[in-house]
Order: sequence, then C-alpha cells, then structure tokens
Amino acid sequence: MAAFPKKPASPTNAVTVQYVDKTLTTQSYLPAIVKGLGVSMSHFFRNTKEMVLGKRPDPVTERLDPGITTISYPEQKRPYPQRFRGVHRLTTRLDGSPRCVACLCCSTACPAQCIFIEAGEYPEGDKRRGYERFPVKFVIDELRCIFCGYCVEACPCDAIRMDTGVHAVPYDSRDQFIYDKGILLSLTGVDGSRQTNNPRHEPGDKSHPGVDRLHHH
Amino acid sequence: MPTFKLDGREIPFEPGESIIKAAWRQGIEIPHYCWHPGLSAPANCRMCLVEIKPAPNQRPVMLDIVELDRATGEYKPVQKPKLMPACQMPAVEGQEVFSDSSQHVKEARSHVQEFLLLNHPVDCPICDQAGECKLQDYWLEHQGTQKRMRDEPIHKPKGVVFGPTIVYDGERCVMCTRCIRFMEEVAKDPVLEMRERGNLNEIFVAEGRKLDGNYTFMVEHVCPVGALTTQDFRFKARVWFLRSAKSVCQGCATGCNAYLDYDPRYNKAHRYRPRDNEAVNKFWMCDPGMLSYKRAHEGRITEARVGQKSRATKEALAEVKKLLGDVAPEHVAFVLGAQASLEDNWSLLALASKMGSSRLYWTGAPAGASDDILISADKSSNQKGVLALAPNAKPYSVLLDDVRGGVVTHVVALGSATPAAGADDASTLGMLRALVAIAAHDDGALTAIAHVVLPACSWAEAPGTYVNKDGLRQLSDKALEPIGASKPGWEQVAAVAKQLGHDLGIKRVKEIRAAWLGTEAAAHASPAEQ
Repeated sequence: MAAFPKKPASPTNAVTVQYVDKTLTTQSYLPAIVKGLGVSMSHFFRNTKEMVLGKRPDPVTERLDPGITTISYPEQKRPYPQRFRGVHRLTTRLDGSPRCVACLCCSTACPAQCIFIEAGEYPEGDKRRGYERFPVKFVIDELRCIFCGYCVEACPCDAIRMDTGVHAVPYDSRDQFIYDKGILLSLTGVDGSRQTNNPRHEPGDKSHPGVDRLHHH
Repeated sequence: MPTFKLDGREIPFEPGESIIKAAWRQGIEIPHYCWHPGLSAPANCRMCLVEIKPAPNQRPVMLDIVELDRATGEYKPVQKPKLMPACQMPAVEGQEVFSDSSQHVKEARSHVQEFLLLNHPVDCPICDQAGECKLQDYWLEHQGTQKRMRDEPIHKPKGVVFGPTIVYDGERCVMCTRCIRFMEEVAKDPVLEMRERGNLNEIFVAEGRKLDGNYTFMVEHVCPVGALTTQDFRFKARVWFLRSAKSVCQGCATGCNAYLDYDPRYNKAHRYRPRDNEAVNKFWMCDPGMLSYKRAHEGRITEARVGQKSRATKEALAEVKKLLGDVAPEHVAFVLGAQASLEDNWSLLALASKMGSSRLYWTGAPAGASDDILISADKSSNQKGVLALAPNAKPYSVLLDDVRGGVVTHVVALGSATPAAGADDASTLGMLRALVAIAAHDDGALTAIAHVVLPACSWAEAPGTYVNKDGLRQLSDKALEPIGASKPGWEQVAAVAKQLGHDLGIKRVKEIRAAWLGTEAAAHASPAEQ
C-alpha cells in the first residue's frame, strides 16, 4: 500500500458512499433481477387491468401521476397547447378568396427567408381592383421554416396563421415540403375553420360604417 | 457669396434663391412635399414652414391664438410668430431662420402632417411607395402621434389608369401638384390638372387625353407619396428588398445618370431611378430610358456559340484559335462597339495593336427619334468614347465596303447591333471567312451571323466607363452578378488574345483604366470595381 500516494482529505460536502457488502446474494444478481421483474410485471398487470376496465388515466392531464405515462403514438396523440405553432395556413374571406394581399410583410419578417410571394392585381372591373392586390403565388418552404411565428405577427390582415395543430411533417422528398397556395388554403385551423374570426369591413361592403366608395359627394 | 443663418449655421446662397433651395444645396433638408429642386414652388403643402427673425427695423408679425393648458384644462390666449414657407421666401443676407430649433416650427410640422394624413387610407402594406414614402418618413420624424379625427375618411377614386404607364390613387394623394408642374414645366405637355377643392381635391387627366408621351415615368418619380405608381413596377417588389447601383442609362448618347435597383436575392433588375446630375439629366429621365433596365435580362447572350449552336466557352475559344490562328493581320478587322464600355473597347484596341492590325471600325445602334429635352438621336451610349479612344476607326458602312472589296476577310467585333439595316448587309457579312462577336445582347446582325459568339457582361453586370454626347466620362457601377457564362467584355477579349498567343497584360479593370487615365485616376476608382 505504501506505493500508493495517500488519499487527499475529503471535502466537507462529500457524501460517503455506502458500498453493499459483496455477499453471495448480491454477487449472483438473481434476487435483484427477480425484484426488477416484479416491478415490471406489476405495471404490466395494472396497465392491462386499467385498459380492460377502461380506466386508463389520461396521458396528458394525469401523466404526472404515478401510473402509465406512455401513449401509443401515432394512434394516440397528445393534444397540443392552444398557442402551438404548427404548419401554416392561409385564411379566406367569406367568398373563399384568400385574405392575403401579398404585402410581403411576412416574408420581410421571416428570419429563415422561406416565404415566396408573387403579387398580382385584380382584373379590370373587380371591386377590389385598386384597393388590394392578391398573391398569384404564395409558397412556403416548410423545410426551411423555423416555426418562429413572426409571419403571423407581421401579417396586417390575419391572412396567415399557424393554428393548424399540424406539426412539421416528415416527408420522403424535399419538394414535398414546398407548400404552395393551394395546400396552404386547404388547411384548416384546429377547430376546422378556414375563415378568420376577424372580419374586415371594407369600403363597398354593407357592413362598412363609413362612406361608400361609389358614393358621390 | 452672401449668407444667411439657418439654425445658427451659415448658409451661402445665390441671390434670389429660396431658403429651402439654399439649404438643400448644403445638404440640409427642410421637410417638404410640394417643393422639388427642378420645379417651381407653389407652397401648397405647408410642410416647409420656418420661423424667420424679423429685421431689426421691423415689428414681428405675431398671431393671437388660444392654447390648451393641460394642467387647468382651460384655454388661454397666447401669441405665436407667423411662420413662412421656406420654398417661397427668398434668402436674405444676414437673415436668421429657425427650422429644427424652433418649437413653433416643430408644432406646425406635426400639425400639417396630421392634416395630410387625415384622409389617408394607411394602406402601406399594399402601397408600392412604402419604404421610400415621404409620409412615412415625416410621420416618424415630425409627427409620431395618431390622428385625432375619428370620422370615416373621405374616399376617392383608386386605381385610376392615367395612361399606358401610370396608375393614380386619389386617397393617397397629398395634392402637392408636383406631377402637374412636371408635365407643364419639364415635359411641356400640361395634360394633368387638379379639380374640386379641399377634401375632394383630385388629380385628373385632361378630357380626351391620356397621360402619355416620353416623360410619364417622371410623374411617378416626383410623387412624394404612393399616389402615382407605374404599371411597370406596380406590385413587382418591395423597395426594402432592393439594392441600388449607380448606373448610367444605355438608351442613348445622353447618358442619363440613374440608380439601377435590383433584387440581389434573385439577381434581377427591377427599375431605374434618375440620379441627380446637373450637368447631364438634372433630375429626369425619359420613358424609353426608364424602361431600358429590362435589357439587363432581355435578349442577353448567356452562352458561347459556335456556328449558332451553344457551346462551352472553352470550345468556342478553341474555335477562335482555329479561325484566326494563322491569318495575315492585314485581313483581320477589329470592330469597336459604341454600346460597349471604354474598358472593353480599350482591350480590343490592345489586341489589334498586338496583332499588328490597323483595320479599325466601329459599330453601334441605329439612330432613332430625338427631342430637345433629353432624348438623343444617337442610340449608342459610348460613341464619343470609342472615337476618342480610336479617332481613326472607320464607320460600319466602310467595313461593309471593305468586306465586299475582299480586303477584310476576318472580323473580331464588340457588340451585336449595326447602324445600317440594309437587306444586303447580312449577305455581305456572310462573305466573311470568320466573324467573332463578343456581345452581351443578341439584337443585331453581327451575332446573328457570327461564326463564334462569346458572351459578354451587360452594363449592369460589370463596371464600365461611358462617354456621353457632351464628352462627359461617366462611370457605371456593377449591379448584377454575371448571367450565365458571360464575362466582362475585356476579359473575353483577353481570353481571345491568349488563344492567339498574345498577352494583353490586364487582369483587373483598374489596370485598364490606369493604362489610359494614368495611375492617379485609377486610384480613385470606387471599391466596386476593384
């Protein structure tokens, strides 16, 4: 022993480890294995009993309680919180046209530069001509998106939302992540709605409080 | 030069000059909408109000007003000085003017700004002017409060098509009348007018007319707000995505100074904006010139061609060696391009002298319409420069004669367009045994018939010097990255020279400039060209 240097003094906050004595019981491991199996089997029987009786605790609200904490994804899914930012969607007006006016505020705010918009003008004779423009192309690269939600914050028209409840989806090729206007308009909010609940009163609408644009002074 | 004091700073002025213009010359901006250095001053926006200290022998003009005392909630009578529009008041020797340093002026600006925004639709997200709008800038700088009017704003015509180029939005208009005055004073075509009064004011086009002619784009350019937008740029891009390069218009020999606005993300040019140059274009540009930014993309040659078939540049250069490798130099003609930069032409001249050929010709675009405002009949941007560089270069018609006479059998040309468009031109060029064209655009007889075409950069993709019709040497900066396989013209010429066994000894633009300007001028080259 003299060949080894002396142990340094223990620091004051050191915890002394109590080693289990090396006996035949511990060295053979068998009692510990049986004990562990017992824990597993007791969970197995309790879960089976709860499943058969239909008394399984909710994996979301009661998952912190002792008991089952595992869910069978993807058959079972944990509901996401209300403000969860999922895949984008474009909201529509009453007539089904996109609310987006192609102002490019979202693509300006986007730190990942994943939004491409091509603006167009309404045709001659359309009541929105001169007042608004619309997106001829609206493309989001969901692979590049970092789901920060800045686009939703930036939108002055409540036209883009991330309330689909769909999280970033894995696909098997990159081009499937390119969501165009059609896909974005087809997605609904978690409540199944396509329209926004912020109706906008435009000059010319009956709901508009002020002077009609066709009103001649 | 006499001076006056603006906020305590001495400002020199020409006698008769207004306060705002004298300040503008010194780089001090007194906020304004209706005033424009190139137009008359109607003083109708009231944004440039300043306080002027009366001369010692004059009584100050004071106005009695009431002011809300926020502590007591009562109005109390006070006095304030009568403010004067800086665009109308001629500067007077020794006069003291207060702009940013006067609280009265600051208040007046805030109130004028609030008035101008009373009926504004605040549709900045869909307005093309957003990002370069005076209403936005001055709101932030001088107002910063919400409007107090809670009524529905007045609605006016929107999206009114004024002509083939311009769309008008009455709700955004602040009635500065700059567009009216531009058409009257500069374009000499008083086609715009104002009608109604007060809230119902609007700009309209004279009965039976359209806003057309050669200077309609400038109407949009002088508009300080988004009331006038061009059909061409409308909804194309947001200005904050664009970068500007100091460019020179290539439309004609006037050489108007312009900013070429381009989107660096897509390497795409979007528009021209006139760049002030008192010696050339003042503040203006013509419509064909404003639209000529499109040539940055239209008709570009992006690949080398051998016998009109696309090839790699390497193969094309090998073909050049085959065609020109062992030809007697007296049969090789060098055609300088009046549409190419001085740098490109200089390198072609260098190649000619290395090869020992003195057969120099020049070509350019065919002449076109002209007017007495800006447009020049000479549609080549650099004819003066080419002729200054090579005074003995002969015109294109002489080249055709020499080809017919069999004196010239091989041609190396810079550019594509030719001044003559005769029917037998093509057949004459067809007599050549070799025609090597180094060109950016595919818009003329030379590239259409060339045995080898080498893609050159357009003016937007490489820095270049151009000499306008008055002999003014102007620099155009690089905006876009070279498109396709194109390289600056002088690089292609140097590559041709290398194939033929000559070394022009140039690797950078500034070496070319040093060669004809001397090292002193090259040292002043902007960083973009190095």
